[in-house]
This record gives sequence, C-alpha cells and structure tokens, in this order.
Amino acid sequence: MKNTVLAGVLAALLPTAALAGEITVYTAYEEDEAAAFLDLAKQAMPDIEVNMLRLSTGDLAARIIAEKGNPQHDVIWGFAASTIVNPEIADTLEAYTATGVDTIPAAFRDGDNMWFAVTGYMAAFCVNTERVEKLGLDVPKSWADLVDPKYKGEVVMPNPASSGTGYIQVSSILQMKGEEEGWSFLDQLDGNIAQYIKSGSKPCNAAAAGEYAVGASFDMRAIKNIEEGFPMVMVIPAEGAGNELEANALVASSKNKDDARRFLDWTLTPEAVNAYYDWKAIVTVPGGSLPERFRSAGMPEDTNSILYPTDFQAAGKDRDRIISEWQRRYEN
Amino acid sequence: MTEQAVASTPPARRFRIGDSSFALVVSIAVLVMMILFLVIPVGSILLRSFVGATGWGLENYTETLQSGRVWELVGNSLAVAVLTTILSLALAYIYAYAIQRTHVLFKGFLRLVVMTPLFAPSLVQAQGLIFLFGRNGAFNRFLGFDFDIYGFWGIVLADVLYTFPYAFLILSAALAASDARLYEGAVVMGAKPFRIFRTITLPSTRYGIAAAGFVVFSLTITDFGNAIVIGGDFNVLATEIYNKVIGQGKFGLGAVIGVLLLAPAVISKLLERRIAKRQHALITDQSKPLTVRDNRRRDLIFGLYTYAVACVFLAVPLIVLLASLVKLWPYNLAFSLKHYSFDVQNGAQPLWNSIGVAFATAIFGVILVTVAAIVSQKFRTPLRGPISFLAILPTSIPGMVLGLGYVLAFNSTANPLNVLYGTFPLIVLLYVYYNHAQGFLIATTSLKQISATFDEASTMLGGSQLRTLFRVTLPILWPTLFGVGVFFFMRAMVSLSAVIFLITPQTQVAAVSVLQLSDRGANNQAAAFSVCIMLIVLAALLLARCVLWLAGARHVSLIR
Repeated sequence: MKNTVLAGVLAALLPTAALAGEITVYTAYEEDEAAAFLDLAKQAMPDIEVNMLRLSTGDLAARIIAEKGNPQHDVIWGFAASTIVNPEIADTLEAYTATGVDTIPAAFRDGDNMWFAVTGYMAAFCVNTERVEKLGLDVPKSWADLVDPKYKGEVVMPNPASSGTGYIQVSSILQMKGEEEGWSFLDQLDGNIAQYIKSGSKPCNAAAAGEYAVGASFDMRAIKNIEEGFPMVMVIPAEGAGNELEANALVASSKNKDDARRFLDWTLTPEAVNAYYDWKAIVTVPGGSLPERFRSAGMPEDTNSILYPTDFQAAGKDRDRIISEWQRRYEN
Repeated sequence: MTEQAVASTPPARRFRIGDSSFALVVSIAVLVMMILFLVIPVGSILLRSFVGATGWGLENYTETLQSGRVWELVGNSLAVAVLTTILSLALAYIYAYAIQRTHVLFKGFLRLVVMTPLFAPSLVQAQGLIFLFGRNGAFNRFLGFDFDIYGFWGIVLADVLYTFPYAFLILSAALAASDARLYEGAVVMGAKPFRIFRTITLPSTRYGIAAAGFVVFSLTITDFGNAIVIGGDFNVLATEIYNKVIGQGKFGLGAVIGVLLLAPAVISKLLERRIAKRQHALITDQSKPLTVRDNRRRDLIFGLYTYAVACVFLAVPLIVLLASLVKLWPYNLAFSLKHYSFDVQNGAQPLWNSIGVAFATAIFGVILVTVAAIVSQKFRTPLRGPISFLAILPTSIPGMVLGLGYVLAFNSTANPLNVLYGTFPLIVLLYVYYNHAQGFLIATTSLKQISATFDEASTMLGGSQLRTLFRVTLPILWPTLFGVGVFFFMRAMVSLSAVIFLITPQTQVAAVSVLQLSDRGANNQAAAFSVCIMLIVLAALLLARCVLWLAGARHVSLIR
C-alpha cells in the first residue's frame, strides 16, 4: 500500500510536459460510458498513453477556464456543444478537419471545424411508476401534460442557470412555441414544479429514488436508472425533445498534436461509432442500430422522429438573456 | 528547572535578542507559507471579480449589487447561518459540558459518535438524510410519516449536523481546561449551580464560544453541498457562486460573491481583540484541575440528552451502511454485497491514494497550525495580526473558490511552484490550508488558557521563550495537537469541493469516486464506497488511540 502511494507521488512529481506518445483527454461523458470508450481507444492505439479525466460538464468547464493560461489537456471529448462555444473555452481550441468528419451532417459540427459532435443526448422524463400508481396519476406523455394541476408538487426539473440539460429543456420550449407563448407556458409549468434542481441528472435520480413522481432529465440517465432496477419508465416529450450535442475538439496548446489528431480521427472510426451506438441514443454518424435495451426503455428506432430540430446557434446566443429572464420569473 | 540549567544559561539580555529575532524569522516563515498557499490563490480568483466583459473595472460589482436578487440571497444566507449557529452552539455546548463536567457514561462512545459527520463526504451526509427523511425516505415510506425535508428547515438540519463536530471540538477544548480553585471558592461562598455556571463557566469559555460561533457561521454561509442537495428552491449565496461558476462559466460574477463571503472573517477579526481581552488564562502555575463531583440527578438529565443526540448522529451512518448492503434501496431490501465490487474508474485505488494524502495532511497540518498558533499567541512581533487573520480566513472561502484559485495560481508557468501542479503534495497543501482555521482555532483555544505566568516565571529563571515552549507549553498542549492531527486526517479523507479541480487521472482521491458514483445514480455503490472511507477513518482513530496508549498517555482522550 505504502509503495503504491509512493509510486503515485513519484509519478505525479514527474515533469508534466506531455511526453511523445502521451495525451491527456478531458471528457464529460458519463463515467461508465467514458471508461468503455477509453478501453476501445487504448486497444486501437496501443502506442499512445491516453490519460483521461472525467468531470461533469460544469466542473470541467470551470477547470478548463481556470487552466486557460497553461492548458494541461490535448483533447476535449464528449463535451456539451453549448458550453464549448463559451468564448473562454472556444479561444483555447484549434481547427482540425478530422478524417471522416464529412460523414457528420453540417448541423452537428462547427462551420470552421473548431469542433464536431458524434454523439448527443435529448430531454426525457423519468417517471416513477410506483409513485404514480400510489398517487393515482397517469404517466405524462408531454410537456403539456405536466401543467395539469394533478401533478402539482410532483415534478422536478433542472435549473437552467446551473445545468446545461435544464437550459436545453427551457430553450427548446421557447424555440418551439415562440418566446411569448413559451414563457406563458413556462409560467404555468412553474406552478407544478416542486424544485428546480441544480444538476441535469439529479431530477432523474430523485424520481428513481421515489422522491418525486416525474423528473425532467435526459435520455441516458433514464435508461441507466431503469437498468439499475428502479421502478421507472422513460418518456420522450411528445412535442419533440430538446437536445444537446457532445463535441470533440483539439486544444491549440497541445504539445503532442499528432497523437491528439489521431485520437480525434479514432472517434470517427466505424469501431468507435459502433461503441457509441451501444451507449448513446443520438449518434450523428450513420451505422449501427439502436440496442435492445434502449428500445425496451421506450426509445423509438428512428430517434430523429422525436428530436426537436434545435437551433443550436440561437440557443447559444440567447443563453444569458434567457437565463436572467428565467431567474427573474421563477427564482425567489 | 535544575540548577545546572540555570547556571549554564548566558545573560538574559542576549536571550531576549535571540528570542525576538528567532520569533521574527519563524513569523516570517509562517506568513510566507500563508501568502504562497492562501493569499496568492485566493487573490488570483478574487481578482477576477474586477474583470468584466469590457476589461478591468467594477462592472461585475455594479451588475451584482444592482440586482435585487443578491440582497434576497444575502437575507437567505444570513437566516440559515444565524439560526444554524445558535442551534449548533447551544446543542454542542450542552453536549461538551456533559462530557467535560458530568459523569455521563460511555464518554468515549459519545465523543466518537458526534464526529461521524466528519467521517464521510458531506455529499453522503446529505444523501443519508434523504434516505432517512426524504419524501420517500425510511420515515415516510416505512413508518407512515408524511413530511418534506426540502427547503429552509432541511438546510438548517443538515448544517447543524455538519457543523456540530466543529463546535463540539472547540467548545470541549474550552471546557476541558478549568481551575478547581475558582469553583471551590464559589461553592464555599454558597453560590447555586446556575450562578456558578453563569459567573465562572460561561465567562471562562468565552473565547471558545466566539471561536466556535465564527467557525459554524462561516462554514454554514460558505457551504453549498447541503444547500444544493436538500435546499430545494431555497437559494443562498454559496449556490449562486455555483450557478455562476459551474453553471455558466462566469468566474467574475462568482468572484464578487466570493468577496461578499469574506465579510464574516473581517468582522470577526475586528471583534476578536475585544473578546480575547476578556479571556482569562485558566491554567496558571497554581491551577488545580477540576474534579467533577458526583450528582446522580445531573448525570441522568445530561445522560438522556447526550444519548438522544447520539442517536440522531448514529442514524445517518447506519442508514448509509444499510443502503450499501441491500440490492436496491429502498425498493429491494434483499441482502447483497455486490455494491462493494467497485466498477468506478480506478476501482479502489483512490482509497489508497487518500490514505497517503490524509497522513501527509495530518502531519503537515499539525506542524503548520501549531506554529501559526504559537506565533500569533506567544510571539510579540508586528506580524501576529496579519497571521492570525489569515489563519482563520479559510473558513470564509468556499472550497470551490479555493480549488479554482489553486488552479489559477499553480498552473501558471510564471509561478516557480508550478512543478507542484498535478501532484499529491499540492493536494496535501490545499487540504492543510482549506482546513487551517478549524485546526488553528482548536490549538489557540487551548493555548490561550495556558497562563502567561509560565512564560514570565520561565523567563525570570533565565529560560528562553523557546525553552518554555518545549518544556511547558507543548507538554500541556500535545494531546490537543494529536487531536488536531486526527481532524486533518479525517478532513483529507472526505473533502470534495476544493480538490475536484486539482485531481488528475493519476491523482484521484476517494471522495471524488463517491461523487462519480453519485453523479451516475449509483447511490448504493456510492454508499458502499463511503462505508469504506468511514472504516478507514475509524481505523485511523483506533490506531491513534493505540499510539497514545503505548506512549503512556492512557487517560488522554483523542477527541476532547
């Protein structure tokens, strides 16, 4: 034990400058999916030592901004597109046209090739069947259902001021209904919301734990909680699900760009794409098919049919304004 | 002092010069460390409060202070902090009194059990409360109650549990020192117990109460863990920093609120001198240790109170243990050990990392805190003011702010200490300075009670201050310091919010694994990982106990 501690200290004391054949990847993929993808990457590129740090989107963004003066990472992998466009982060990136990037529809990558997204996630409700039954409620099918007074105090959703998932939910409602009607709908919804929770995954976990009947969250969280065995179903809102892309990018200050580029190229290989299809409901590159476990959780085969065609540009541009308006209306 | 020692000492005058230059050198060293590992990191993030969209200026301040929102948040934060401070101090004082001044049974157990909130990451404490009192928690689900923990009262409950051990440690140290002569005199004069309490006990623990009050207030007002998990829609200043920094990547606006949170430290510094002036030293050259008299009725009443409190504190770790041992809490209560085969990144390795880090933190923490306490209490150099202020400043800094400050300061290639970035030693230093105030206050509370007459007597006999320190002060103080070491160990095993920004793929610590598991909804596995952390902390306490025993200090308790 002592030796491992000592070895750890020594390893950490070694110069931090990237060695040839070594890259550091920052990712916001969920912990278990990141580990699965990383295993494949290591098999495909045995000569590269890939160090991966996994943090939630917000924590990772704060860290990238704080490290801006001397970035420690070579690659950003699976990181919310609406956050990667934050100027403080976008400034640290370098354009790279990854091999095979043209298989991604233009809507899912940056026009100047600063980033591209191979995967994404969508808004989904986590509904606790045990609690719904106990309270004599129905399983809601849409955002419109959630304003019914019978759900009062039984719905939790993420706070858009602190959660990217929360923001895509609010922003997609405003985009699909138009601002005026959208805000008046959110006013109605607000009457039923028990809590605006400060993370995107927690509302689903709260519903899974039976604290509330409905937690507005995102698809993968719902599917995994169902797999854990919680008495829960996933509902994709009938109006169309707001969605977020998970982007990959090259860091301009990387001291090992050759390997960083190889890694980015790898994220587009058929083998990687196959793995994405095992873990993700939104994969922007064709190939693979929806795994059985997704279908049994309630995901339709053609995920495009349920996605709301999000205007990512507008969503990014309007973020500050929408958040302050949202806080003015619904907080304190 | 032996005759030989007196005879061999050179003239006192030279000693004074030696003493004061020695004092100055040590003071400077303490201050330099504080500047490097506290002022520069905190300064580099607070400086961001002056960087707006259009460059340097007060833009962030005008934006924050002009919105009505911030004043509501100040009101919310104050309401939570004031109520928590009153409740926590009152409950902990009575508890500490029971342990130090009555004959309640099982004192060792009672001391240990109120420390349990320090045994696991605060995340787990909050999760444990939800397992117990949540809308679908054990009470509501299995016992048919119907209450809702989320909101103001939930935060207050969680914060009282979270701050109680700190208040207890300081108050217990304050109540441990006493001079029996005062009490004997009072009894001879026919004073009633309550009058004795009011005129002797309470005034003699004034500094301890003030120190504990400051710590509890600061910890509560800067804590965002409990507010986020249990607060529901009740927003406070600390969650607003989270919104700005983590939610929106706006360091400048978050830093403004960080600056507001420094106010309690500044105010308490201004008040400290007034309180300290009235503190008498309790242990003097003529002191007699207090022997507690027998009183059945008193012991029964205090006994009932302490056992009731102990039950509340035991409930949380027990429910976490239970959740770690069932298939799926609260739906499938069949016994299962599957959550103990950790499938989180790096498996159990972070536990070993944390043990090493926690040991190092304990050792460096005790040394740095003790030297700082001595410098600020015993050395009359012009630096003692700044040192004692900086020593308590860390409680006013949210972990998130300090962690990001470390990134800004040590990741910069302009900093010669840049080599530390991404290493365990930096994590150790972060833990030491993050918990500096509590360790410092425990040490000073004890130090203040040791009379200056020792120094005077010793100096008159020709002994240097330094000699007094090693011969008199430290021998009286060392059990307290051992306890401070254990405190640092526990904090380093479980602190999360600051270290999250410093870990690298090679330097992951145990608390982060708990966060990763909790993030992905694996609450049972997170509980299992926390149980391992708790067992390690318990084992460390046991080990420390054995060390004390072997060292011959059999009657000294680790937690006072």
